[in-house]
Amino acid sequence: MDFLLELLTALSSGLLRTVELIAISAPCGIALGALLGALSIYGGRILSSIVKLFTAILTGFPLLVTMLLIFFGLPEFGIYLGPTESALLSFVLCSGAYISQYVKGAIMSIDEGQSLAARALGMTRAQEVIYIILPQALRRAIPGISNEVIYMIQYSSLAFAIGVQEVYSISKSLNSIIFRPLEIFTALALFYLALCTLANFLFKLARRRLRVMESELP
Amino acid sequence: MLRIEGLRKSYNGMEVLKGVHLELREGETKVLMGPSGAGKSTLLKCVNLLVRPDEGRIFIDGEEVTSPKVDVVRVRQKVGFVFQEFNLFNHLTVLRNVTIGLTKVKGMSKEEALRRAREVLEAVRIGEELWGRYPAQLSGGQKQRVAIARALAMDPVLMLYDEPTSALDPQLSKEVLEVMKELSRKGVTSLVVTHELDFAMEVANSLAVMSCGLIVEEGPPSEVIRNPRSSEARRLFCRV
Amino acid sequence: MQLLDYIPFLVEGVPWTLALVFSGLTMGFSLGLPLSLIEAFGSRGAKLVVDAYVWFLRGTPLLVLLSLLYWGIFPSLGIKVSPFIASIVALGLRSSAYQSQIFRSALLSIESGQLLAARAMGMRDSQVVMHVLVPQALRIALPSWSNEYAIMLKDSSICFTLGVMEILTRAKYISTATGSALFPFLIAGLLYLALTRAGVEAIELLHRKVRIPGTLGGE
Repeated sequence: MDFLLELLTALSSGLLRTVELIAISAPCGIALGALLGALSIYGGRILSSIVKLFTAILTGFPLLVTMLLIFFGLPEFGIYLGPTESALLSFVLCSGAYISQYVKGAIMSIDEGQSLAARALGMTRAQEVIYIILPQALRRAIPGISNEVIYMIQYSSLAFAIGVQEVYSISKSLNSIIFRPLEIFTALALFYLALCTLANFLFKLARRRLRVMESELP
Repeated sequence: MLRIEGLRKSYNGMEVLKGVHLELREGETKVLMGPSGAGKSTLLKCVNLLVRPDEGRIFIDGEEVTSPKVDVVRVRQKVGFVFQEFNLFNHLTVLRNVTIGLTKVKGMSKEEALRRAREVLEAVRIGEELWGRYPAQLSGGQKQRVAIARALAMDPVLMLYDEPTSALDPQLSKEVLEVMKELSRKGVTSLVVTHELDFAMEVANSLAVMSCGLIVEEGPPSEVIRNPRSSEARRLFCRV
Repeated sequence: MQLLDYIPFLVEGVPWTLALVFSGLTMGFSLGLPLSLIEAFGSRGAKLVVDAYVWFLRGTPLLVLLSLLYWGIFPSLGIKVSPFIASIVALGLRSSAYQSQIFRSALLSIESGQLLAARAMGMRDSQVVMHVLVPQALRIALPSWSNEYAIMLKDSSICFTLGVMEILTRAKYISTATGSALFPFLIAGLLYLALTRAGVEAIELLHRKVRIPGTLGGE
């Protein structure tokens, strides 16, 4: 009984930090992904090749490496970020890079008539992209984005490696005190399962609501 | 050769076959016609045991193949099946499509299988230059002829054709029908579901008309086509 | 010692990383392919069991799975395993869930007419699977499978938490020994990047070799 109580306390205190990590980095990652995706298509030759290089590096590096680089490497340039800030920055960069690929694909799938019609109304290129193309592209990219967010929920556990007191880190410390690994890590697995299942459910709901607005979507 | 007695089959309460009787002698070709949904395709699939009938019996060469003791796989080897959509194996060359059944199902050696494949591919007029191609690189008519060769290679006692030319344009249909006619004339026992009147007139020994799960009329093709007695047959053959 | 002198030590992590990835992919394949057959053609009950398995493994972070296996499950079963073996099992189990999904959709994309034709010529179910389904499913799944390789390669870095002597563990050592973080982690990142590209290119080459002529993506 004592053990259960301790476990629940630990999980719930870590839960807050984990949810905080995700709640901040998911929207920022999506925004960065939309920006990078749009730039890679409308950014002109130089900007789009910079974006290409940037996403190639971020999707080619393991998240853990990016995180360690930011936390331990940036101080060599005199930039000091705390553990939580470093974790957040690496989540946003990494998920932004992956999401930009989905957004890019979605933008390319939108037919040219939309763009012509926007220009016929007298919109500037920027207005066209922001008001016409991106809203549609993001909708189409939702399945990919939801996958990335669910990955991010799982990879948020890696923040323990730079000392963020999120749920994995706290559970691990608890285990080193009371040593009940089977129970603790099973509970932890169920905790993440619940979180991922919930996120999946929310994205499905969002998709269904958006489908009403754009009926030709499958 | 083939005898079907009182065959019944339902899907989800819909009766597709309502007690079909049919007989086919060795070396004969019988054409089966009828509107879509009459149960022709289901009937063919029952003969090859791809579909299990609910009631009734099927005899092939005097053996009751619907008996639960019979090995399904052995029966299927004896009965060739040609599909409307060809259903060639996409990942295999023309030659391998023909030999796979021989080597894997019949356990033939590679050389033996190759010899047999050569025979049947010649019979369906697929030249050696096509043997290394994949199904996606063939015309529809070529595909169907390879499919016929694949079935024929197994040395079946009976060939079943399920609308073999319905997916083909007239020109390609013609080359497939020519091959089928030749086989029928050679005495390959065949049961053919088709809408091709010329085929029926030229090579079929008998024509059966099926409607709503029953055979409603049967006789020599020229007679059934020229003087249909049943209203269903009249509807099929009267040109407006 | 200078930073550059550590490069051989870091590069020696490459065989370790590749060993983790190839063993993990092999295990994932040997479990995932049979599971995909159940998902595509199995009974409803069997499908439910596989669905639950996939749901669990796809929703549990690799780090948690690794900890659960290494500290929880293996010891309580009385099995002593090295961090290396525990890592392979974790990577392999997780990959089996992903690979089962990859192969399932590949299997379901094969026209049912081919199965009918195979059965019509007298093939037994096992022969249909061996000679018709699997050879095609493998070819269809190859592009997605290459993605699975890239994911596992990067995920293998998580095994540094158990001290497996792969690339990242060595980078961490160097960083501790030299006091510099930028250099070792950057080189480590570039190694992962190069390995990903090389593997993806190799699989693409293989794909070009085995794809079926005349079909989408072939010729």
